[in-house]
Amino acid sequence: MSTLVHDTPRTNGTGDRLQPSNVAQTWAMSKRSVLALWRQPSLVIPSLIFPLFFAALGTSSFSRATSLDGFPAVDSYLDFALAGAVVQGVLFGSTVGATALATDIENGFFDRLLTSPATRSGIIIGRMAGGMVYGGLQTIFFILVLLPFGLSVKGGVGGVLTMAVGGTILALAIGALMCAMAIKTGSSEAVQGAFPLVFIALFFSSAFFPRETMSGVYATLADINPISHLVEGFRDLTIEGFTVSAAVRAVAIPALLAVLTVTISLRTLKARLGAS
Amino acid sequence: MSNELPIVAEGLQRHFGSGDDVVKAVDGVDLRIEQGEIFGFLGPNGAGKSTTVRMLTTLLRPTGGVGRVAGFDVVTQANDVRRNIGVALQDAAIDPLMTGTELLRLQAVLYGLPKAQHATKAGELLERVGLTAAGDRRVGTYSGGMRRRLDLALSLIHEPSVLFLDEPTTGLDPMSRISLWEEIRRLNHDGTTVMLTTQYLEEADQLAERIAIIDNGVIVRKGRPAELKAEVGSPTLFVSVDPSAADQAKGLLIEFGDLRPSPEGTLGVGLTDGPGAVSNVVRTLDEAGITVKNLELREPSLDDVFAEATGHRLEGADA
Repeated sequence: MSTLVHDTPRTNGTGDRLQPSNVAQTWAMSKRSVLALWRQPSLVIPSLIFPLFFAALGTSSFSRATSLDGFPAVDSYLDFALAGAVVQGVLFGSTVGATALATDIENGFFDRLLTSPATRSGIIIGRMAGGMVYGGLQTIFFILVLLPFGLSVKGGVGGVLTMAVGGTILALAIGALMCAMAIKTGSSEAVQGAFPLVFIALFFSSAFFPRETMSGVYATLADINPISHLVEGFRDLTIEGFTVSAAVRAVAIPALLAVLTVTISLRTLKARLGAS
Repeated sequence: MSNELPIVAEGLQRHFGSGDDVVKAVDGVDLRIEQGEIFGFLGPNGAGKSTTVRMLTTLLRPTGGVGRVAGFDVVTQANDVRRNIGVALQDAAIDPLMTGTELLRLQAVLYGLPKAQHATKAGELLERVGLTAAGDRRVGTYSGGMRRRLDLALSLIHEPSVLFLDEPTTGLDPMSRISLWEEIRRLNHDGTTVMLTTQYLEEADQLAERIAIIDNGVIVRKGRPAELKAEVGSPTLFVSVDPSAADQAKGLLIEFGDLRPSPEGTLGVGLTDGPGAVSNVVRTLDEAGITVKNLELREPSLDDVFAEATGHRLEGADA
């Protein structure tokens, strides 16, 4: 080790240290989370493959279902299945950020961030940023991959971009919920173990069949499930074209969810700092 | 930073749970650490060292008492505390997916260093801790010692006036430990106040100007190592005998001084008459037909201070 003479500590001239920029902090932590995804391709590949597999399976198995009463008018089941595939993929991918946060807690890096002047919201959102970027890219990836197989997006470029924004925000919403669990448990295994619960919410929605074809308790659950309304926003952008109503549903529903789940995450973090 | 002492704790308390199930992890700790000193905080696992440090570094809210660091209250002025302290926690807290340089640059942003200084500062700190060649490697490929050194470098990015080191050398090989000690001394020489928690008595003896010993959440001794050792007084003789003769040997040893906590398989006695009594001890045991397997005479050490204060020896003590 060599010796280094200390420079004068960074101050504002009155002896007080300067307050770091919150935006710069969040941006730096966001870049870190994107870099982490880039360096662990094995974590993201499954969430790219499985939704496409489900879409392909559904298209080959349920092509005649499009003639059922209550099924919207579509050129093919693939057009109908896109919204479900996108949401499914984003749900899959959004757990990656929360698992990474749990790993940060396990290995102590989270404590290092907490002892720095970084804002608590910046730490959470920064950790989610990788998942958000990934959610947007996933949406575009699924559409580009399915286009040669007959997919048509009636909403055009505007519809695709709206879905990408919706996917990005949905990744934040679900990721933040999973983050709350990561903060509460400090265990990456617990986060991964909770993922099937999110998946159940997807199955009790209109992701794979229209609500009009459902009945009983299943229909009731699908009616009150926000994922149904989110998926239908995405679906309308695909099969009906770009409308304000569809765009609002595709973006506003995940945004409302994100406000709720980020708040839950921050409250969980506050409780952890008080009680851990 | 104001002219206040860099670290002050008054009745600092952290209880978990409530009612009959309450666990008093830290129960009324008082500390006054002077500007520019290395303060050793000693205790076995679970004594309350890390909980105290977590409260003083704003990671955990106290349930009672007051903590002030760098002149700021750890609860009401937590962000001011964070801007003035460097922290290297018990486990080298490092993201294995990033390189050393990337982590230092991230840390530079978190502490608000101007962008133009990021690369220079990262390079200087890597050189300082001897990691220049490994700076662009992912931390996952580092050895335990390299991680500890990088962890220390990360805690220095903003040149903190107060540095918390929580068991910084646990698990390190002797060479890495000595290397880290040298760096801690250099930092202290440059004016940094260091609070060092450790369960290695030798570490505290080597580095700390003053120490506090914590056990079961309560500080049981506080002072300069030399003074504390002098208070213990007489040297300790550790005697190994056959286990079947241990009770008989205890009865004989007590004639030479007070029995003291000792490692398993040995008996410890504080020799009231000093080292000269060793030959008498051996003769007395021999005359009673007890075979002495091993003898070890130790001048008063911090372990003796700890044993005298708590009634048991420090787990993992290496001195």
